[in-house]
Amino acid sequence: MIQLDQVSKRYDGGFEALSSLSFQIERGEMVFLTGHSGAGKSTLLKLLTAIERPSSGQVRVAGALLAKLNRREIAFYRRKLGVVHQDHLLLMDNSVYDNVSQPLLVAGEHPADIKRRVHAALDKVGLLSREKFKPIQLSGGEQQRVGIARAVVKKPELILADEPTGNLDPALSRDIMALFAQFNDIGTTVIIASHDLGLIARLNYRVLSLHQGKLLDAPFTPSGPQS
Amino acid sequence: MRLGKKKRSASNRQRNRAPRVDIQGWYRHHLKCSVESLLGLVRQPISSALTWLVIAIALMLPTLFYIALQAMNAQTQAWQAGGQITLYLDRNATQPAGTELSAMLAQRPEIESTRYISKELAWQSFRKVMSVQSDLELAANPLPASIVVVPNQQQRSDLEALILMLQDLPDVEDIQIDLAWIERLNNALDLARSIVQMLSLILAVAVVLIVGNTIRLAIESRKAEIQIIKLLGATDAFVRRPFLYLGLWYGLLGGLAAWLLICAISLYFQSQLTSFLADYGLTAPAIWLNVSEFIILLSASILVSLLGARIALWRHLKDTDPR
Repeated sequence: MIQLDQVSKRYDGGFEALSSLSFQIERGEMVFLTGHSGAGKSTLLKLLTAIERPSSGQVRVAGALLAKLNRREIAFYRRKLGVVHQDHLLLMDNSVYDNVSQPLLVAGEHPADIKRRVHAALDKVGLLSREKFKPIQLSGGEQQRVGIARAVVKKPELILADEPTGNLDPALSRDIMALFAQFNDIGTTVIIASHDLGLIARLNYRVLSLHQGKLLDAPFTPSGPQS
Repeated sequence: MRLGKKKRSASNRQRNRAPRVDIQGWYRHHLKCSVESLLGLVRQPISSALTWLVIAIALMLPTLFYIALQAMNAQTQAWQAGGQITLYLDRNATQPAGTELSAMLAQRPEIESTRYISKELAWQSFRKVMSVQSDLELAANPLPASIVVVPNQQQRSDLEALILMLQDLPDVEDIQIDLAWIERLNNALDLARSIVQMLSLILAVAVVLIVGNTIRLAIESRKAEIQIIKLLGATDAFVRRPFLYLGLWYGLLGGLAAWLLICAISLYFQSQLTSFLADYGLTAPAIWLNVSEFIILLSASILVSLLGARIALWRHLKDTDPR
């Protein structure tokens, strides 16, 4: 599903966020991505969502070489993804319902269909009663769950979540992880970037640990690599 | 869908073929964007009015010049009848031959009318003028008979052909052409016309800039929203749509306002013009836009506004490309 080949990303000023990163994630896999802040997790997710291009190397998702996609193809590629952003990226002037329905509107789905699917997604994150609220009226955790509902509403092929449980209490975090696991069970590939090592440890999934833009062989520990 | 421009691997091409756009969803989005952008304008009446009034004034100026030019054109076409060609006939030509020639010429399509002036008639009118001021008495009538030809051609080349033909007539001894001043007037009008065209072009560019800037501000205020829906897989066309409709409404309102302004100005000037021209014994031409001119004004306004919006969007969407 995802294949990185010698991928490096250097920003202006010389900072190398990723250096010669290579790994592969199979279709239907669920993978955790861990590492200190600044280890390159967010950069990696930006490459996978085609927000940024690698400085060198190749990123291949679902057979497509992301660097070769034109604007229109990027748009259609992104429709296959469900992305949970760390800073939520909600439309602040629109209701919760409008926010969650956005991916379906963009794809030109039928209104009747949209309503049913938005309600289903909001139900899954426990926000059905909040559909008419504006994001500003919600707590940080609730906003995050709106973002999650928006990511899963279209039953994407690939879910990319950046700190999806960052603002949630442990019980809710478990629920959200269970939701991602449910999607994984029906074949969705899931990548979750997270700091929550306790939560990751309890769940039995592959863990990719990033440190200074490189993949660590040993799983990430809070004290950093031992070498 | 754009494929085949760049050479790509077969697998890449196949897997990334963009699915067909659901036509109903497309239609619904058009409806939604058009209604929402119009409501947006209505909800901010003052700030939107400032924009479409500027558009209206920019469109009004060249249109007024155009109307003035059309009115002058209509007037000179009436005056063209005053442009005459006088044929002085051979002294030996008889009166029946003269009237016959006059009648024959009058039947030609390029000639509006002719008038035969006999030797005697010319002599009488000449004496009437002269005898008042002098005691000049002539024994014999020295004046030739003449035919006054009023052509109905406006084309210069046609007139020249006509003149050549008249010169070659057997009974015609001399020809006097009274058209030079019309030619000068036509030249002046040609110049005025190209000034109007240049002015229209400049003001069209102004409208592009005005609408472009307004749309740029609208884009700026919805930058976060655009970023988000692009991440959710919106195509450029989807992002553009509400802003293009905004441009369309600005153009439509600006065009309509320009038309109303022109009507008001015409109404004001028509009576003044009528009384002014009446002093010269002339009837005033209508200074209104006809239906097709009105439609041209509106479509030009809309097209130029859309162009402005499109340019602003092009600049912004280029910035959303992956870095």
